[in-house]
Amino acid sequence: MGVLRFVETIDRTLANMIMSLTLRRYYVIAFLSMFCLSGIAQSLTYTGQVVDSAGDDPLIGAAVTIAGTDIGTVTDVDGSFEIVADPGESLEVTYIGYRTQLLQLGIKTDLLISMEQDEQLIDEVVIIGYGTIKKSDLTGSVATVKNAELQKVPATNALNALQGKVAGLTVSSVGGAPGADPVIRLRGLTTLNSNNPIVVIDGVISDVSAMNAINSTDIESVEVLKDASATAIYGSRGAAGVILVTTNRGAAGENRISISVNQSFESVENPIDVMTGREFATYVNEINPGTYNPDLVPNTDWQSLVYQDFAPLTNASMSVSGGTEKAQYYLGLGYFGQSGLLPKSNLDRLTAKLNSSYKIGKYVKVGFDLSTAVSDQQNPPGVVNTLLRAHPINDPFLADGTTFAEVEGGNPLAAIEFNNSFSKRLRGLGNLYAQVDFTKHLSFKTSLQFDYNNTESKSFTPVFFVAPLQQNDMSALNVGSSINSTIIFENLLSYNREFGRHAFDVVAGYSTQDRENEFLTGSTRNLLREDPEFWYLDAGQDEFEVVNNGSSRSTMLSYLGRINYVLDGKYLATATFRRDGSSNFGRNNRWGNFPSFALGWNVHKEGFYPEDAFVEGLKVRSSWGLTGNERISPLAQYETINSGTNAVFGTGDILYPGATFGSGGNPDLRWEETRQFDIGAEFTMLEGRVLAEFDYYNKQTDDILVNLIPPGTAGLGPFVSLTYNAASVNNSGFEWNVSYRDNVGKWDYAVGFNGSTLRNNVTELGQSIGADSIIIAGDLGNGQQVSRTVVGQPIGFFFGYETDGVFQNPEELAAGPVAFGQTVGDLRFIDQNGDGRINQADRVQIGNSIPRLVYGFNFEVGRGSWSVNADIQGVAGNDIYNGKQAIRFALLNYEDKFNDRWTGEGSTNEHPQASVGGVNFTPSDYFIEDASYIRLRNLTLRYDLTENRLDRYGLNSASIFVRGTNLLTLTRFTGFSPDLGSGNVLDGVIDRGVYPNQRILSVGVDVTL
Amino acid sequence: MTNIKYIAVIVVTLLVTACSSDFLDQPPRGVLTGGTFPETAEDLRLATNGAYGALRIWQIATGGFPLLDIMSDDMTKGSAPDDGTAIAVYERFEHTAQEGSTDRWYKSLYQAIRRCNLVINRAEGIEMDQLEKDLLVAEARFLRAYFYGQLIRGYGDVPLVMVTDPPLDLTRTPVQTILDLVIVPDLEYGIAILPERSQQSSDIYGRATKGAARALLARIHVHYRDYAAAQPLLLDVIESQEYMLEPDYADVFTVANEHGVESIFEVGATPFTSIALGGNQFGNTQGVRGTPNRGWGFGRPAYPWILDMEGNEDPRLEPSILRVGEVIDGITVTGDSNTPDETVVDGQIVEIEVYNQKVWTPGTTTQESWGHNRRLIRYADVLLLAAECLARNGQSERATDLLNEVRMRARGGDDTVLPDVTGLQGDALVDAILEERHYELALESVRFWDLVRTDRAAEVLGPLGFLPNKNELFPIPQVEIDISEGRLTQNPGY
Repeated sequence: MGVLRFVETIDRTLANMIMSLTLRRYYVIAFLSMFCLSGIAQSLTYTGQVVDSAGDDPLIGAAVTIAGTDIGTVTDVDGSFEIVADPGESLEVTYIGYRTQLLQLGIKTDLLISMEQDEQLIDEVVIIGYGTIKKSDLTGSVATVKNAELQKVPATNALNALQGKVAGLTVSSVGGAPGADPVIRLRGLTTLNSNNPIVVIDGVISDVSAMNAINSTDIESVEVLKDASATAIYGSRGAAGVILVTTNRGAAGENRISISVNQSFESVENPIDVMTGREFATYVNEINPGTYNPDLVPNTDWQSLVYQDFAPLTNASMSVSGGTEKAQYYLGLGYFGQSGLLPKSNLDRLTAKLNSSYKIGKYVKVGFDLSTAVSDQQNPPGVVNTLLRAHPINDPFLADGTTFAEVEGGNPLAAIEFNNSFSKRLRGLGNLYAQVDFTKHLSFKTSLQFDYNNTESKSFTPVFFVAPLQQNDMSALNVGSSINSTIIFENLLSYNREFGRHAFDVVAGYSTQDRENEFLTGSTRNLLREDPEFWYLDAGQDEFEVVNNGSSRSTMLSYLGRINYVLDGKYLATATFRRDGSSNFGRNNRWGNFPSFALGWNVHKEGFYPEDAFVEGLKVRSSWGLTGNERISPLAQYETINSGTNAVFGTGDILYPGATFGSGGNPDLRWEETRQFDIGAEFTMLEGRVLAEFDYYNKQTDDILVNLIPPGTAGLGPFVSLTYNAASVNNSGFEWNVSYRDNVGKWDYAVGFNGSTLRNNVTELGQSIGADSIIIAGDLGNGQQVSRTVVGQPIGFFFGYETDGVFQNPEELAAGPVAFGQTVGDLRFIDQNGDGRINQADRVQIGNSIPRLVYGFNFEVGRGSWSVNADIQGVAGNDIYNGKQAIRFALLNYEDKFNDRWTGEGSTNEHPQASVGGVNFTPSDYFIEDASYIRLRNLTLRYDLTENRLDRYGLNSASIFVRGTNLLTLTRFTGFSPDLGSGNVLDGVIDRGVYPNQRILSVGVDVTL
Repeated sequence: MTNIKYIAVIVVTLLVTACSSDFLDQPPRGVLTGGTFPETAEDLRLATNGAYGALRIWQIATGGFPLLDIMSDDMTKGSAPDDGTAIAVYERFEHTAQEGSTDRWYKSLYQAIRRCNLVINRAEGIEMDQLEKDLLVAEARFLRAYFYGQLIRGYGDVPLVMVTDPPLDLTRTPVQTILDLVIVPDLEYGIAILPERSQQSSDIYGRATKGAARALLARIHVHYRDYAAAQPLLLDVIESQEYMLEPDYADVFTVANEHGVESIFEVGATPFTSIALGGNQFGNTQGVRGTPNRGWGFGRPAYPWILDMEGNEDPRLEPSILRVGEVIDGITVTGDSNTPDETVVDGQIVEIEVYNQKVWTPGTTTQESWGHNRRLIRYADVLLLAAECLARNGQSERATDLLNEVRMRARGGDDTVLPDVTGLQGDALVDAILEERHYELALESVRFWDLVRTDRAAEVLGPLGFLPNKNELFPIPQVEIDISEGRLTQNPGY
């Protein structure tokens, strides 16, 4: 029996290793056969039912095998099974989360097998980099988000739904255009470069955009790896955090068909009010008296002419899954269609998801996972700003009602009419793997992974004439194709074993990654005809044809390892190491080492811990580690020489080929390094009803790769910057996640509150390159640059004049100090240095776009079939620069706050007098808006069919819901949406006029057969 | 045993794969990298052409807009009143160090200089025909002097860069040092090495010549009032008999007369809206706005200057300006509906819709306007500069002859206008020559610096907002000062 108990212990440990569970089980069976005597007898047919010992509920899909053989079956939906075996043989019954049962067969052929839940086994399994781990053994900070949460925000990219769900994670957008990727920030801004975490989809390392290739219904869970203990195994790519995405898999014996259809309707969440025709005419008259008669000017509301109300969005998907002990599959198909708020901005996407695995013989399992998406999109016409600025006193059409009229600032309707821009994308991620189990402790997995992304674009502009500034005298065509492909070859050895009180889990391996990009673009003009059949380069005139083709390749070689050690289930230690070499860096700086160490203590498992303590479960953990960032252009280290810088000589204007400096490069680039310290505690209280988790983190990033504007004397020309390792940034903060779940009578309810604080501080900048202790960014495109990054401040704060009301009368003006050209009615700037003059030296920090607090509340109430769920999230302590109002190339329409302008002494001390541009539009806090907000992100009412009905219709589950997304937002920000992100952290967050965010109403049906 | 074999295979695989360190060498594709170019004779030719290509960078012309003219009394901002208000500040001399044009111009000039330095610094190590190499170096040095000439006249003292990878902590170098170390030796080298225009075949017109080098050096000497140094250079150009005035003033800027007899240094351009294909947006920036759609219409001939020319019945007026309603090359100029035909203030016309004909190219689309060849230096300028030097150096008679040579051509055979200047000497003669430049060379980015170098800017441009001891120079871009941590100082007054 000692042997059997030993085997049981082994099996229990192995059962936790979800990814290879099935396979290992067979190994154990084989192992057991050596110890079990098999009787010689007549075979009998045994039938039985497997149930939960607690509730007598049938267990579906439990594996029933004859010990020592690979003969077996699984239980059906009633928990029943039938198997032919010899009396004297043993039946082994296994089910995830339950103790394995061994049952010696006799002559009784009708069996009832009652399975006991295993407290240790039921422990949640968390997916981590290159493996899984029991939640209780976890030393790192990892958050898990389940499938249902991911479907709450209708979008092509399921990560949009993470906002407000994970402490420390901020999700924002660069606008609401269909298919736009969210901007994701984990624990602040770790770098001045891309701060998007990497996204690892079923083991394939990719990026946030790859999530566009996966329908949210195909995802099982998303794990967010936050601290260094969890992320350092991803080495040079882990600094901004790691998001692991696990997709659905088939389970043996559970053949399922799921259908989900959602229909949504989108509207502009928060329209921006601009001046009416009359208001605008009055305003202009104050600048140039007598220009218009405000009583006679037309009034065109451009936004209402263009933005669609209740624009449809459809998301429909179907999946089939199931399998046998030898082979499992999941196949998901999805359609996503969004027509968009702007005309000609529709997106259609088809997704296909296949996960399959097969067992070959006793030791080998092979599998293939594939995610693909084909999408077809019309790129939105760039009219968002035109709609805000076009003169409201112009009619869209001439008197005939069909010919586009000239509109100051551009006729938006014409801009849409003549915009024809399309993108087609094919994205595929795949993972072909084989796993060999040499012994029950040691396995080897090799996998070949790819991430393929092909984008084809086409845009065509016909000949048209609306106005001298809005016309095209020759048709133009641009086409482009680009292919990005990544191939990863990964080999891992895994070893896990318990020696008495000691449990080890070790993984080691290496991986190579090969990324390649190639683009081919072409343009031509004066096409033979304007119809779509002629939108090909061949239809253009050769003399106008320009073709560009280029490619880049970058490679990476990595070694990785992790040891997880658990003593008595109480004391936990994890050490990880990764060594990465990247072609993005020069030979001398190519390799980087990324170690991490972590300790954990399950305090409640100690003998001294009182059994009746209020806090039933208590774990403390802490980690330290080093991660990196290599996300720079492979060309950043090279200064390039480009051809095409030609000369023109001779009486016939002959083109002579030339070549000279192209982009600049820095050969001394090296890795960014982020050191992160984390300490956290997890609590369970009130018999598991309260779960709480708290973390403090401190991340210090050094040698940040930063694009600095080099001095003009470097000779790189205007609008150029160079990459240097030249900055350090510190992020620190607290995170919490508290949830409470209980019921009052038949009412079940749950509440959750998570959040994080953030302090972002630049600790070094530019000293290492002997120049540039300041990064100036935030270009508004009109010569104004409003953002800065300097030591001692957060990244990308806003810089300009602080205002102090409006000059009310000549006396105030005379008292000064006055900036050049100011008159009564203009903004008064504060003379910060008190020198009696207003000049550049008086500019100060006027805003900061990094939230100090990010939080989310989740509520759920249910009774019987009905449930209501509400998610509220918000941020606080951040600003946005209203760039779309500051940019003034000409006299264009204004937002309606300018209606409250200064019109004479005492009229207002907030808004300046009417002016076209000039001093009042100098970067100042007048354009800074508080972007704190609290938003009802999601409100869902759901009805689940009762079991009676399900049975009647032969369904597994069925539900119907109505949902509102972004129903209500409280904010002082005046733009479309305050959850605006920025692709370039150095800019801070500037609203330059973005595609509006949506308020969405949805109805949906989910059915599982 | 089987397991051990498996493990052995895996370990070997691991080791073998791990050894491929070449895997991490991925040089860029399709482009050369710095330090590897130029290496051959052909490379050096390409690099020299690349330096010439800088002349067509849009921003190389005062940041893209004709600011030197807009800041003078013969041009206003132009375009529709509401368009490009960001550069209207130059018209009123309200521009600050933050305005983008000043930064674009500064940076693109250093970009151009770097291209020249690439040729000059790397020529040494290239094996090729020495004569050709010297010629290419002389051309690059000519261009470098041109760009530095723009820098110092625009910004005063500026950092001196003679290598392609300068240190980051440069400070401003005095103008005189830049003249002594770069401009003068570069152009003297050019004068020694470069061919006369008559020694060039017509298919390479536009490459630097001895005459261009002399004229450019003289122009810069005159700017710094070294008339003694300028005079012989100018007379050399005249006496070389390489150039003459176009018989008809109206022909000076036409497409048909590109690289004509009067052109000393000219930037070739092809009618394509792409710099790589040879286009130059300079003409497009100033081109007729509206109908025909030839451009943005920035840089409008100033109405007071037009009245002045009309008062003189100067035949050069009409070839210099395009009025609304005018028919040119068979095309009727209707102009822009957003631009008032006449702008009236207090009952007085202050501006009319009119365009710079000196950048006109025949055609009805924007496309052709990119094909305008900028005439950077022409013979009439040389004659008038020579006249000015002679007048200042006491040689009134010869000065008067040169002045009258220009006036005679301007007259176009109509003896009732623009009579010969006679009997003037000294300052009066200099005044007459400068006035002539105002008429002859208007809209050609010459006037502003003429006023600055003769201390007349305050008097002439004061009413427009010009502040002496400030607006003679552009501000050093604020960005440059900021990133230099104050190593670069600002020009006075900004």
